This record gives sequence, structure tokens and C-alpha cells, in this order.
Amino acid sequence: MVVAVFDPEDGARQDKREGLFGGVRRAMQFLSNENLFVWLAGLKRDYEVYVPLKKGPFRFYERYTAPSPDIVIGEVRATEPLKGFFTPVKEKVAELFNPEPLRKKQKPMAIVGVKACDLKGFLVQDQVFCKGCQDPFYNRAREDNLIISADCTQAIDSCFCLALDVNPYPESHFDINLSEVTGGFIVEVGSPKGQQVFDSHKTLFQEVDTMHVNERKEGRKQVVAEVERNIAKHGVPHQNEYQGMIERNYESKIWEDEAKTCTECGACTTICPTCHCFALVDQKEGAEFVRYRQWDSCMLKDYARVAGGGNPRPQLWMRLRNRFEKKFDFFPQVAGLNACTGCGRCITACPANIDIRRVLKRLVHNE
Amino acid sequence: MNNGHNPYSPIKTEVIDMIVETPMIKTLKLKPQEPIAFAAGQFVELTIPGVGEAPFTPSSRPSVNDMLYLTIMKVGAVTEAVHRLEKGDTVGLRGPLGKGYPIDLFKDKEILVVGGGCGFAPLRSLMYTLFERSGEFKKLLFRGGCKSAKELLYKHELEQWGEKPDLDIRLTVDVGDASWKGHVGVVTDILDPIGMDCQNGIAIVCGPAMMMKFATAKLSEMGFQDPNIYLSMERNMSCAIGKCGHCRIGLYYACHDGPVLSYDKIKGFRDVWA
Ligand SMILES: Cc1cc2nc3c(=O)[nH]c(=O)nc-3n(C[C@H](O)[C@H](O)[C@H](O)COP(=O)(O)OP(=O)(O)OC[C@H]3O[C@@H](n4cnc5c(N)ncnc54)[C@H](O)[C@@H]3O)c2cc1C
Ligand code: SF4
Ligand code: SF4
Repeated sequence: MVVAVFDPEDGARQDKREGLFGGVRRAMQFLSNENLFVWLAGLKRDYEVYVPLKKGPFRFYERYTAPSPDIVIGEVRATEPLKGFFTPVKEKVAELFNPEPLRKKQKPMAIVGVKACDLKGFLVQDQVFCKGCQDPFYNRAREDNLIISADCTQAIDSCFCLALDVNPYPESHFDINLSEVTGGFIVEVGSPKGQQVFDSHKTLFQEVDTMHVNERKEGRKQVVAEVERNIAKHGVPHQNEYQGMIERNYESKIWEDEAKTCTECGACTTICPTCHCFALVDQKEGAEFVRYRQWDSCMLKDYARVAGGGNPRPQLWMRLRNRFEKKFDFFPQVAGLNACTGCGRCITACPANIDIRRVLKRLVHNE
Repeated sequence: MNNGHNPYSPIKTEVIDMIVETPMIKTLKLKPQEPIAFAAGQFVELTIPGVGEAPFTPSSRPSVNDMLYLTIMKVGAVTEAVHRLEKGDTVGLRGPLGKGYPIDLFKDKEILVVGGGCGFAPLRSLMYTLFERSGEFKKLLFRGGCKSAKELLYKHELEQWGEKPDLDIRLTVDVGDASWKGHVGVVTDILDPIGMDCQNGIAIVCGPAMMMKFATAKLSEMGFQDPNIYLSMERNMSCAIGKCGHCRIGLYYACHDGPVLSYDKIKGFRDVWA
């Protein structure tokens, strides 16, 4: 018999932070380090299991094969964004003229160790691919894939999630969440799908004791403090201050100034968990004609070019401005949220040192 | 909503005929395997297998949906492949896409339609609808311009339109020649005076970006209200279902919220004219 334990303070700290996802209280269980691997092995029956693997200072999602000390469930976000599991870089979306949505042969995926910032990415991606005319491929991946998220147990310098009201620990949009504590993990179920998976591996989970609950609370506090220090150090404004900043600075010199060093590589949009733009590309494959949905970038010159050479954004700085307009003006107006999670990936990826924290600061303070 | 079908997959379509309109423009007569019921102003994506897709607004009668006509100017990769098509070839169509003209809003109003160059194509389909409902409007005017008499689309049909008692039509060419008896100059030259109640009138513009820019400025000057000026926005489009991001203008996606957008919606965005 498993006894549910609630964290009595979860709701309270939620209200204080006005977290994005509202304070839901969930039953907690304990999973030992040894049982984690038993569980992952069990999951492999129904899923392709992906775990974050540490390589040097970075973490990359890799297919899980066997237990390894390089598997890092906690720590901090992976280098690559989560979106690749839902809209791959290049995915076949049509075989002309077969009207049926293509059936995937492979198993659904279980992605383990997903961080809170990437879960916010879902809010943006879902808005794009699930509203109105639905993308059947994305929707199927959302239905089939399993998200086993995890608390951040540290922050890196580029993390500024709190500025976007994302706490560095998952609060919703996961199936199961893991919070690393001594000897194992606190496990929370976040969806009916998560509940099913939990139930079918029930014997692996134990009661949580208060020591672990307190440890988690302390751990979360520490990571929050680390991110707060980052934000203070880099002077990142809070999203409460973003309203009107794009409009106000539309004709500002900020854009030209910031875009001076841009190499138009598109790394910033490629690595961003919220950026969703793509192009349909047709190819001949044997006797068949196939259509791919392939990531595209609004930073590239040809992105908006029309036949005859006309281009609404011929200059790089116009495209940089457009990227910020889309994130901080379009999405707030059409979906009520900024299309940024504060994950900091674009800061690390940009070869030209174009730092979103600095741009936000300049926009808010009209510098 | 798409009830489980694949929105990226085109309907198999047969090329029934290829009509040469001008040296650069051909009209395709197409028969899709499933009928495509479109309203004037809505568009389709035409697939040339293995080459790619491009958006076009049918130039044919919306009330006929088992057969549709696309009038296409040769400008790049896809459109060049279009011009190489022959009778009997197989192509693909996705659609109808976007929103049509809100014709019910035009009831009891005076309507001015302004076309430039290849913009005549989508406007022909609109004109068919307006003719069919002609009694519902107070007045119907058409002003069209193109580079030269040689490049004028649907010459024969325009002559017939000239005889319609319910249509006031005037045309112009940028450069005149011996065959041309009409006005010479750009289309904005023949907009004013127009003899209509501009304050309450509807203006519909379709043509190259520069022409639309100048025509819109002129129409505003003449007294047309921003919400009553309807513009066909040409944007780079890929998915045409509001997902790929390409055709965004401010808060709107030209493919999903347009391609026809009223001027008040897009006026505030600086990169409106490509
Ligand atoms: C709503 C709408 C209605 C239109 N109606 C008409 C009409 O009735 N008649 C008419 O003549 N024109 C019409 N046009 C314009 C027509 O769509 C363009 O002329 C056409 O897209 C040009 O395509 P192209 O490949 O020949 O030109 P290109 O110059 O080769 O390409 C144009 C753009 O499409 C992109 N592109 C081309 N191929 C691919 C590909 N395989 N994958 C990804 N991107 C690609 C290019 O990057 C470029 O930005 C309409 C446009 C819109 C938006
Ligand atoms: S804009 Fe940069 S910091 Fe914000 S979500 Fe995208 S990659 Fe992360
Ligand atoms: S990553 Fe940096 S250099 Fe590359 S396109 Fe983005 S802003 Fe420009």
C-alpha cells in the first residue's frame, strides 16, 4: 500500500512566485537510484528511452542502453532543445499523393530529465501545432511520447528562467517528474498517462519520508537563489516590464547596433525551444515524391523573400527585430505568453555574442 | 479543423488544358480528384511533383468546383515548371486555404476593384461572384492597369465586361502602342475622379506590391476608410495553414487570416510592403 505525501508548502511558494503553471499539489513517491535503472529498462519495452548524458561540460539526450555514471537526470537543461522529439529537424510529412497521414513504425519515445524551461516550450509549440488546423505528426508525438521531467539541481550562468516566471523545477506539462534527493528521487505523477506508467511499475516505488521532502525544498531554494544571482548579475529585466518594449523601440538604433556582428547562422532560432518556423521541402525519392517539414530560421535572408526578389526584411537588423517582435510582441498578443523560456541556449549558441539578456535590458530601459 | 486528414498532402489533380495568355502568363485548367469548393479570395497550393509548391488564387468561377483555373506568371523555380506542364500531366492541389472576401459586408455599398498585372487573375474570380450577386450592390467599378497591351490578361473577356450595364470599367497601360486605344499611364492616374461615395465605399486592390502601396495611398487620400480597403498580401508562404511562420505580418498570418486583409489591420506594421 502506497501512502501519498503532499508537500504542504508547495502551494504557498507557488503563490509567492506567481509561477506560470499554478500550484497543483501532487502525491509523492520515492524511487531509489538502483530502481531508476530497473524502471528505465522496463520502460524500454514500450518506449525508445532517451536520457541526458554528460559530455564535458554539456548534456545531450542519448538513447538509453545501460546504466552509466554519465547519465544526469538532474543538473541542468540539455544542450539541444526538447522540440526535436516532437518536430524533428527534418520529418517526412507527405508522400504525394497518399492522403493518409504517414504511420510511424518506431516506438513512441520516453524523454527523461526534461527541465522546466523546455516544458514551457510546449506552451508555444502546442499553440502553433495543436490550434486551428492541426499538425497530425506533432499531435501524435504529443499523445504518444512520455515526458519524465526533472528538477534542476544547479543553474549555469546563462539560466534566467525566473525572469520569464518559469521556476527551475517542473510544475505541470509532464507525465512524471523526478526530483533528485539523497539515494534516489521524489516521483510525482502529472498526467493520466504518467499514472498508467507509474501503476505498471508500482513495486519499484516507495513511500517518501519527510527528510527527502525537506531536502527537495532546500534544493529548490538553492537553485532559485542561483538563478536570482544570475539575473541580478546580468541585469535581466523581469517579464512584467516587457509590455510595449518592442513598439517603443521599433525605430531604435538598438537593432542595428546589436545585429552588427550577426553572421546569419540561424543558431539562435535552431536551438530555441520555442522557435517553430519550418519550410516544406519536396524531394524525389526513387519513384516517389516526398514532402519534408524542415526547420527554418527567420534570421535567414531568404526566409521572407518573395518571387521577383521583394523582401519585407532585407537587412539583418530587421530580421533580428522581427525575431524579438515575434517572441515578445506577437506571442503575448495572440497567446498571452512570451515565446522565451529563459533557457539561455541562444546566448551560448551565438558566435557573435548577441546576448538576449542584454537586448532585453536595452529594450526595457530604452538604451 | 482537419478531421484526421493530412494537411500537408495534396489532392491528385490532372492538367486538362494549358492556355497561353501572354508571353509570361499561362492559365491552367485543372481537375482535382476531389472537388475543391473555394470562395473568391481563397487560394490553393499547387504542387509540381518533385519541384515544389507555390500559392495561387484561382481565377475561375467559385461556384464551379470540380474544375478550376489558375493563371500563373513565370517568375521562378515552381512557376517555370508550371509553364513546362502539358495536357494530361499530374499535379497536386491543397485547399481551399485562407479566407475569402467578406462579400456580405459589401451589400448596398459602392465597390471599386483595382487590379494590376497578374492581380487580374484572382480578381476575375471575385468579379464573377460580384456579377452573380450584382443586384446586391449600389455600384460596381473596375480599374485595371498593366505594363503594355501585350501583357493585358483576359482581353476578350474584358471587352465583354465593357458592355455590361452594371459595370463601370476603365483600363490603362504603362506604355502605349499602336494596338492600344485607351489610357496610357499608371493605374493610380485613372482612380481619381471616380464618381463614387468614397467615404462609404469599398475598395479592393490586388497587384504587384508597389502598385498596391501607391494605390492604397491614393485611395486613402480619396477618402476611403482603412477598414474598407481590402488588400491581397503576397507573402512568402510555405505551409499555408498558419504554422510555418513565413507569411506573418504583425499579428496576422497572411495565409490563415488573409490573404485578403483590410488596411486597418496591417497599417501599423512597418514591413507591410515587401
Ligand atoms: C495568396 C497568394 C496568391 C497568389 N496568386 C497568384 C496568382 O494567381 N498568379 C500568380 O502568377 N502568382 C500568384 N501568387 C504569387 C506566386 O505564389 C509566386 O509567384 C510563386 O510563389 C513564385 O514561386 P517560384 O518558385 O516560381 O518563385 P521563386 O522566386 O523561385 O520562389 C519564391 C519564393 O518561394 C520560395 N521557394 C520556392 N521554392 C521553394 C521550395 N521548394 N521550398 C521552399 N521554399 C521555396 C523561395 O525561397 C522564394 O522565397 C500568389 C501568391 C500568394 C501568396
Ligand atoms: S530565446 Fe533564447 S533564452 Fe529564450 S527560449 Fe529561446 S533559446 Fe532560450
Ligand atoms: S545565433 Fe547569433 S550570429 Fe547566428 S543568426 Fe542568431 S543572432 Fe545572428
